Amino acid sequence: METPEVLLLARAQFGLNIGFHILFPSLTIALGWILLYFRIRYARSGDPAWLATYKLWTKVFALSFAMGVVTGITMSFQFGTNWPGFMQKVGNIAGPLLAYEVLTAFFLEATFLGIMLFGMNRVPGWVHIFASAMVALGTTLSAFWILALNSWMQTPAGQVVQGGQIIAGDWWQVLFNPSFPFRFTHMLLASGLTASFVVAGLSAWRLLRAGDDASARVTLRTGLVLAAVLAPLQALVGDQHGLNTLEHQPAKIAAIEAIWKTERSVPLVLLAIPDEDGRRNEFAIEIPRAASLLLRHDADAELKGIDAFAPDTAPVVPVFFAFRAMVGIGMLMLVVAWWGAWATRRGRLPPRWMLWTLSGFTFSGWLATLCGWLVTEIGRQPWLVTGILKTADAVGGASGAQLGASLTGYVITYIAMFLAYMVVLTHLAGKGAHA
Amino acid sequence: MNLDLPLVFAGLMGLAMLMYVVLDGYDLGVGMLMPAADASEQELMVASIGPFWDANETWLVLGVGLLLVAFPVAHGIVLGALYLPVAAMLIGLMLRGVAFEFRIKAEGWHRELWNGLFWFGSFLASFAQGFMLGRYITGFQPGFGYTLFALLVGASLCGGYVLLGATWLILKTQGVLQAKALGWARWGLAWVALAVALVSLATPVVSQSVQAKWFDFPRTLALMLLPLATLAAGWWVWASTGRLKRAEPQPDWVPFAAAVAIFAIAFAGLAYSLFPFVVIDRMTIWEAAAHPSALRFMLIGVVIVLPLLVAYTAFAYRVFRGKARAGLYQ
Repeated sequence: METPEVLLLARAQFGLNIGFHILFPSLTIALGWILLYFRIRYARSGDPAWLATYKLWTKVFALSFAMGVVTGITMSFQFGTNWPGFMQKVGNIAGPLLAYEVLTAFFLEATFLGIMLFGMNRVPGWVHIFASAMVALGTTLSAFWILALNSWMQTPAGQVVQGGQIIAGDWWQVLFNPSFPFRFTHMLLASGLTASFVVAGLSAWRLLRAGDDASARVTLRTGLVLAAVLAPLQALVGDQHGLNTLEHQPAKIAAIEAIWKTERSVPLVLLAIPDEDGRRNEFAIEIPRAASLLLRHDADAELKGIDAFAPDTAPVVPVFFAFRAMVGIGMLMLVVAWWGAWATRRGRLPPRWMLWTLSGFTFSGWLATLCGWLVTEIGRQPWLVTGILKTADAVGGASGAQLGASLTGYVITYIAMFLAYMVVLTHLAGKGAHA
Repeated sequence: MNLDLPLVFAGLMGLAMLMYVVLDGYDLGVGMLMPAADASEQELMVASIGPFWDANETWLVLGVGLLLVAFPVAHGIVLGALYLPVAAMLIGLMLRGVAFEFRIKAEGWHRELWNGLFWFGSFLASFAQGFMLGRYITGFQPGFGYTLFALLVGASLCGGYVLLGATWLILKTQGVLQAKALGWARWGLAWVALAVALVSLATPVVSQSVQAKWFDFPRTLALMLLPLATLAAGWWVWASTGRLKRAEPQPDWVPFAAAVAIFAIAFAGLAYSLFPFVVIDRMTIWEAAAHPSALRFMLIGVVIVLPLLVAYTAFAYRVFRGKARAGLYQ
């Protein structure tokens, strides 16, 4: 085991990288399918406005995809450089899942992206549509493998120990482990919401800049309707995911709800300042017995508290607040999506203040997604693979100085990349689609 | 089925690495040549690699992925020892990847800035890869001499990528730019000769087992074929670029094929020298291999996916065959 500083730096670096990386897949997974929709609308109508719309959003996609690719390559190396213990312990399970992602998803999306971006005049229309479909399929497959691996790390299943090594006894169980269906659906919906808000928000930005723009009106409506449909679905799936977590990772639920002691008739803490040292909540606003009712569907039911899992408990403060931020942003997104869908009914142009609101919500999906990942990743600590491998036992390889130097390099690069991305995105959106 | 799975995966990993070096090598090379061209030529250069660079880099992920997956212990040792050059390479790859996208959308001095970063990123990534190769084949030994050696290999791999990039441009462009590329290719050839010589001299000096393998008569005589073939391929680059310079009949793909041949032969030599070690003189592929259950599960995927992958990669290259045209997004 390495020193606490090395562990902290390794986690900071990996967290920064994975947090920066996830922004782009969470946009491109769903944007790929939205692009396919635009492309098919063009193919069926022959309307150059759809073509212009498709081309504009293809540029946004290409930019985001490139950001995702380059930060993803970085991650594939950091598995080895920052967490050698991870591959030593569970490499026989994690490795093949990562390899399948490369084989089935990366090549598919990267190769067909070339045809999708630059090949429109070189291949027949149906081949181009096929290429667009393969890009969308590739991004979704990629999510499948990564979410399968992440879910297995959260709720391991199907593994056996043979000669001191952990290997897969049943690959089907490894892939479709208990939390996978919920996490995968939750993430796909999160991507749908992220992309639809980006589409709606950037279209609103264009309408603010140009006064009016037929293409931006259509994409605004598309984004809002999609978001209005997906937001309530997400609330439903999120709830089911929570119940699944209660069953398989009760310690995480205790941290999310800041339940310190195991007891019956547990109140639901709406807001509080959890005190990690005193093991209690300050300034708590609670609904009596509501947590028991919500999680067990019985107001008198017992819920396990953090005391039941000591000393292997996650830090409560970040998990507690990140969860509330995620739910809060999600609810706001639902309200904005429904409101916006109503305001744009039958071709209406929403008032300017509403367009400003929508622009402000452009990246709300990113915030909610990041908060969600913070909840699930910090919430499983100190485990890297629940019950099998602790994060502290996986770190190693690099010294604190190496980690610090490279972390500085990454931070500078990421800030520059992010600023440039934002500038180009707003610029592209402000110019709008041109037939 | 009684397959030597570690051997199969070592072969696959080697293949992925070679594919990466050749494919991303040419687009990194084109990136490094950017400052030598004028603005309109730069558009053509970028257009010639635009549809491919993304998929090319995926071979790196596959190569390092197979190292990670099939030889997890070696992966930790190798990447741990190469921590900083890996970080430098990744930053380089990130810069050039996004610069490629950004420069298309930028105008004026912004575009110049992204061009600069595209060049710098390409150079940094190439140099770091050469440096890593230098460290890897000397067994990560500490000391000034070894570091200097790795720096030299870094510089010469940049030259090697310039050769690939220049010959790629000979294939994908025409007129003035192609004429320039003919000159660049010859410069690259000189550097690649240095790289091959350095690596060939260093491995037997550093490693007893490599030395024993090389100077084991009469096998040495058969081995002499490798340097001879490298020389022949080098001559092939020189002669074919010469014929193109003099406008004699000569297919424009020949210099690129010859450059690829140099890399393939050098790679074969390296693979022969190192085998069966995955970390030189320290760990063989069988010692480092993952559990057979993991390897078998992956092999199923490889057998199904690899033919498809080759097919659609070939399809993409067919779609974009012929000379590059400016105006990528039009």
